[in-house]
Parts: sequence; C-alpha cells; structure tokens
Amino acid sequence: MEESKFNTWVKKILATEEEEISCSLCFDLVSEYVDMELAEAEMPPILHKVKAHLNQCQACQDEYQLLHELARLDAAQSD
Amino acid sequence: MMVIERSNQEWRLALESDGDRQGAAIQDLRAILIRAALYTFQHSLASTGQFDQVDIQQLAEDCAQEATIAILESLSTFRGDAKFTTWAYKFAINIALTTARRERWKGVSLDQLPDQEIPSSWFKQGHLGDPDLAASRSETREILSEVIRTQLTDKQRTVLKWMVFDEVPMDVVVQHLHTNRNAIYKLLHDARRKLKQTLLDRGIGAADALDLFGNKG
Repeated sequence: MEESKFNTWVKKILATEEEEISCSLCFDLVSEYVDMELAEAEMPPILHKVKAHLNQCQACQDEYQLLHELARLDAAQSD
Repeated sequence: MMVIERSNQEWRLALESDGDRQGAAIQDLRAILIRAALYTFQHSLASTGQFDQVDIQQLAEDCAQEATIAILESLSTFRGDAKFTTWAYKFAINIALTTARRERWKGVSLDQLPDQEIPSSWFKQGHLGDPDLAASRSETREILSEVIRTQLTDKQRTVLKWMVFDEVPMDVVVQHLHTNRNAIYKLLHDARRKLKQTLLDRGIGAADALDLFGNKG
C-alpha cells in the first residue's frame, strides 16, 4: 500500500463511528441527500450519517458521485 | 427522445396507472435510466478499452431494463423526499456500476491474489525527510499490523486485504463470498472499530492523525 493511501486509510480508521448506517440505508437516503446538498438545505441528523457512510464506503461513494453529477446536470438544465 | 416533464406525484400516478398512460410513463422512465446507465459506463468502462460503444449501449439498455423492474417493485417506498428522477437514477447507477465492476474483474480470481501472511509487508513506507514523522508513522504501521495479525478474524483479515490492500471492489467480494454489501460493510466496520480502539489506547487520536498523516510527506 502506497504512503498516501495508507495515510488516507488511517484517517478513515480514526473517523470510524460506533454506529454507522448500512449500505442499504445509505442507498435509501442518498437521493434525498443529493437533492438537499444541491439545494444547499440544512440536513436532518440522519443525513449526516449518510455522509459518514460515504466517507468509509467506496462502493456507495462512487454511486453517490455519479448521482450527484447527474442530478446537478438536471438542475442546471431546468434553470 | 423527448421525456415529458412530470412532478413526483405525476410520475407515481402514471406508473401506478394502467394502459397507455402507464406505458408512456414506463417508456419515459426507461429513457432516463438508459441515460443514467450510459453516463455510468462512460465513467467506468469506456476508458478500459474493453468495450466499444455498441457493447456499452447494449449493457446500458439491459441495466435500464433491470432498474425499471426494481423501480416498479419499489414504487411504494418512494416518499417524495427527493426528486423522482434523482430517486430513479440511483437504481440505474447501482446496477450499472455493479455490472461494470464485475466486468472489469471478470478474469481475476480473488483466491489467486498474492497471499502475504505478514501484515507489515502490506505496507510500503515512502522516504520521509523528517525522522520523527517517519518514526511515528512506522510505529502506527506496527500497531495496525499487530491488530490485523492478532485481533481480526480470518474473514476480517481476508476481506480487509482484498478491499483495502488489493483494491478489489466491494461488489466483486460480495459476489465471491455469496453475501451482500451490508454484511461486508459490517465486517469491515467491526475491523475498523478494533483498529481505532487500539490506536486510541496507544495514544494516537484524530488530532495526531492530522499531524502524522495530513499533508506532510
């Protein structure tokens, strides 16, 4: 493991929370999270858990990034 | 293809109706799902050179079909907290990205990845000009190696090696172990909790991490 990846991994270990939401719950909530993020709205506590999950889970993070980009393009088109 | 603009409620009512109204809504839904799947493949498969545009179009249509079925089955769970299109995209992205990851790793057997018994050999230490920083990072490596070796279960150690060190995508591990994402996430979460607790017990906390593993080196 390269140095920079090792450093990122250690930071993720130290950011571990006692309770983290599952990938299924993240999937349920991620569309709401993306729309609220794009609207710059204040998020309820459960959506902060989505952020923590995305920080730890590369599979969900990759999906989130694509969803965010598609929703952003839609929002830009409807402006 | 022109997709009719609909509110969340209009989408739901049209998809729950029957006849031509439902048919038109499903056709529109399929069009936006193909777009989401194509977008996903362009970001995940096109650069590999393994697939041409015809293959990618076909894969996108297959994924859109699967996503359409999943959405119709999950429609009752749509609460309207997000835009319908954002909610629908995630199904297509999830299916397309899972397909892409498995396609990219199709020829690789996880059991044939290098088997390195000693966790300390998983870490490569780069050259650092600052001897104190190098010593602190080295100490952290030793602590983590020890926890991986002595406190993690065989399964945690194996999955951790695949995903963190060999960078195998979660979906490929899920397929290999015939399990699901939640189970793999929990397995790794439990492992991270053990690793974090030991680092904290040995006096390495989040504040130290910024100094030790932040922008330096």
